[in-house]
Amino acid sequence: MKRKPIGRVIATERTPTTIDRFQFWTNAEEKLRAFDVVKVEHIDGSFSYGVVENISHITDAQSFLTGFISSDFGNPELEAPTLRFGMNYAEASVSFNDRAIETPVLNNAAVFRAERDEILFALGLDRVQNPIACGALKMYAGTPDEINLPVRFNSKFVLGPEGAHLNISGISGLASKTSYAMFLLKSIQDRYLDARSDETCAFVIFNVKGRDLMALHRADESDAEVQKEYRALGLRPKPFERVKYFVPFPSGTYLSRDDREDYEREGLLTRFKYTYEDDRESLEMLFADVDDPTQTMESIIGKVIDENDPNFGVINSWGEFLEELDELSQKSSARSSNEISVLSWRKFKRIINKAIRKDSMFAERVVDNQNECRLASALKTISPNDVFVIDIAKLSTDKQAFVFGDAVKTIHNLKLGDYDDEGVKPPSKIIIFIDELNKYASKDTPKSSPILRLILDVTERGRSLGVILFGAEQFRSNIHARVTGNCSTHAYGRTSALETNAPDYRMLPSTYKNMLTRLEQGEYLIQNPIFRSLLRIKFPRPIYKQFND
Amino acid sequence: MSIMKLLAEKTGGESFRSRKYDLDRYNLEHVRERASSERVEIQAGFVRECGETEARARHIDLTSMSRQWLASGAQRLTFFLDGSRRVFKVDDIDYGSGGRKNFYPVIAGQVGIGCCRRLGRRIVPERFERNFLLVLPSKANADWINGFWSARTKELNELESLRRLNIKFEEILHYRKSESEESFEDQAIAQVMSFMNAREQAMVARLVREGKLDQKNYLVKDGSLEYLPLEKTDRKTATRLKNNYLRVIGVSKSFNPNNCLDAHQRLDQSVVADLPLHHRTVARRLEFKNMQFAVWYVRLRDKRQTRTPFDGVIKVEKMLVDEAPADSDELDMLSALLINERNPVCYGSDPRWANHIYPIYLTEAFVKSKYIGTESFLQLF
Repeated sequence: MKRKPIGRVIATERTPTTIDRFQFWTNAEEKLRAFDVVKVEHIDGSFSYGVVENISHITDAQSFLTGFISSDFGNPELEAPTLRFGMNYAEASVSFNDRAIETPVLNNAAVFRAERDEILFALGLDRVQNPIACGALKMYAGTPDEINLPVRFNSKFVLGPEGAHLNISGISGLASKTSYAMFLLKSIQDRYLDARSDETCAFVIFNVKGRDLMALHRADESDAEVQKEYRALGLRPKPFERVKYFVPFPSGTYLSRDDREDYEREGLLTRFKYTYEDDRESLEMLFADVDDPTQTMESIIGKVIDENDPNFGVINSWGEFLEELDELSQKSSARSSNEISVLSWRKFKRIINKAIRKDSMFAERVVDNQNECRLASALKTISPNDVFVIDIAKLSTDKQAFVFGDAVKTIHNLKLGDYDDEGVKPPSKIIIFIDELNKYASKDTPKSSPILRLILDVTERGRSLGVILFGAEQFRSNIHARVTGNCSTHAYGRTSALETNAPDYRMLPSTYKNMLTRLEQGEYLIQNPIFRSLLRIKFPRPIYKQFND
Repeated sequence: MSIMKLLAEKTGGESFRSRKYDLDRYNLEHVRERASSERVEIQAGFVRECGETEARARHIDLTSMSRQWLASGAQRLTFFLDGSRRVFKVDDIDYGSGGRKNFYPVIAGQVGIGCCRRLGRRIVPERFERNFLLVLPSKANADWINGFWSARTKELNELESLRRLNIKFEEILHYRKSESEESFEDQAIAQVMSFMNAREQAMVARLVREGKLDQKNYLVKDGSLEYLPLEKTDRKTATRLKNNYLRVIGVSKSFNPNNCLDAHQRLDQSVVADLPLHHRTVARRLEFKNMQFAVWYVRLRDKRQTRTPFDGVIKVEKMLVDEAPADSDELDMLSALLINERNPVCYGSDPRWANHIYPIYLTEAFVKSKYIGTESFLQLF
């Protein structure tokens, strides 16, 4: 049955319809929202589809004074016997035309709400190949025509090779960035668990806050409604599978002792250490945030990792390393190099001591049969559908950078094939989720930061390598342009007006920018190459256990 | 073939192809008010000065009654009627003879009659008609042939250019050289106005035939009711025409203050100028061309909030169908309802906002929105 029109296109001398945009009037009572899809009759029996961007209400009142005078010069209780003549008009951006006609829609063309199939078609959601659920959208809310639709990415445009990397932004506590990232990872794992193809995927997640992500394998006592939402999206209402937790030695985690022991008993938890011999090359990660304009720190690091260096070539342990640094920091040391000043050594030593001294995570050796490992070694063994959670919540900032940098470097090298001679066979794709990306890849991060260089390399080459970055931060405007610029998918959560005024949001229509300041928890605006326009989606609450920290 | 070429050919004239322009420099009320000098007051039957049943010396306070009506939400003013026209000078045509040249203006017009009705608190269209007219000098019918004008109208409407645009001229009117000092343009406009008045009456008659006007559903007409040409109408037709206006009132936004009379029938502008807020004057009985009206004034707005003391005052007319005075209770009710129509206002859109009631303003806007644009219309010729 043909639907009744909800309005008509209006093209005036000052506001014509164009290839990209049109406007239409509706009754003042007509319920429409931004992101609703409308269908417009066009020439040759075709239909054009548009997405509502803004809705205005206008009347014939010429100024505010007209309204004031209409209330007997300022009596707010007065109800006039006749309503002032008014209407709504909506501005919409053209999505596409079903006969590829690009000419502007014509004045007085009838405007309708679209059917379900038409909406999918208009938004580019029909016939999505390699689908990954990314949420659900609602059209025509509050009307008899209300429609709920699942939204799916094409995995090739999120995980490569056509497009890769995802950026999630939004205010902490309101935008639920971590929850959304975890929902997407769960959706991806579900897909790969079911898939019968050569393509495989694994996940590396950094837990940076409390115990947030330290129970991914445990089911939440979620209500039936949440489970229903997962099923509606084609997902299993179960927590993650194949989860392993890695915490800094000896017990650098916020997990309770009981939980830690339970996990160890179940073989889910391993404590990681760093040894001098194998991990000194990652020392540079401790200097990620250190300004090094004269590259002195870099020179020292170069000396430290040089096997032929007269000072450091013979050192085998952290203890010896620290002793050597003590020696070189002495003013009167005969062994100090003429190239590197004592002051530089002292600076280097200060940073190293702060991180390493008295921290048993930097150990002489790893005891395998006591549930210990080197993180890099563990990462090399990552298998399809594995979810590795690396807990760095309890570490200081510099050590977080160290662990993070070391892990990402290992994964990067793993996919580059550097460890192929060790017989490792990594999955086709490894997704790395980084929360608080601004710590490592902000616009203010020193250019010399090895972690920044690593992340840039991942975002620029990872698509073909199979290293995929899912990053989240509070302020997208603070992130390095090459990182966000290389992301194929962007998720915008609730944020502040100050943020939306930044140039990074220039491409968003002003209505959408304003909407970002009012989004509810669990709502995102999603941008992806296969979508014909920005989509407003909602995702369900996490299905894994969350601690009430 | 163009319209003017056809007309020139069929009437034996010569088109001058002069400049075409919009003639609406004449104020509608100005044309009507000139006729008001012909009104004559007569003494009423048992009430010497009043046109209503209750003889009151002073104005009547309707503040409380209007508030009661507003609070109740009930309505009686249901229909709103407005007629308007646009007139254009489209050519000059020569009807000289004996070697002399005599040029006469050719006037074209669009006449729109719109009726809106109240549905709840909304105003919605009820009915609309639009007519296209031409006005030629009577000289065009050189031989006084019967049926001349309708024949020319028919020929005109068969022009391909008009058929293609789905435009049909309703009539070709004519004006004759008069002894008054009125210009030919004014005379032509007067013909258009007469046509418009006739169409307004026809619309009122139709509403009555359809049973839409009754004691709970009045029609408010924009402007005066003093246009029914009953002086040359037979008694039966005149009675029928008058009965059509039983539930109709005319509301004028502008009026001649010099016609305001006091209780002793003396000219006294302060009757209106000093009328208190939400009061009405006593209704006067007036006679015009075989018709009698009750005429009174209602102040909608405080004069401290208007430019002149006459802004914010409307003149209301009701036909006295059987020459008996109007029922004072009915006039009070109608006036109280009119007072409530003072809001919302069209301030900023119309300089007459203080005297304009919103449903009439909307009806006016509705009618005007249906006109063909000036340039498009002039290009027809």
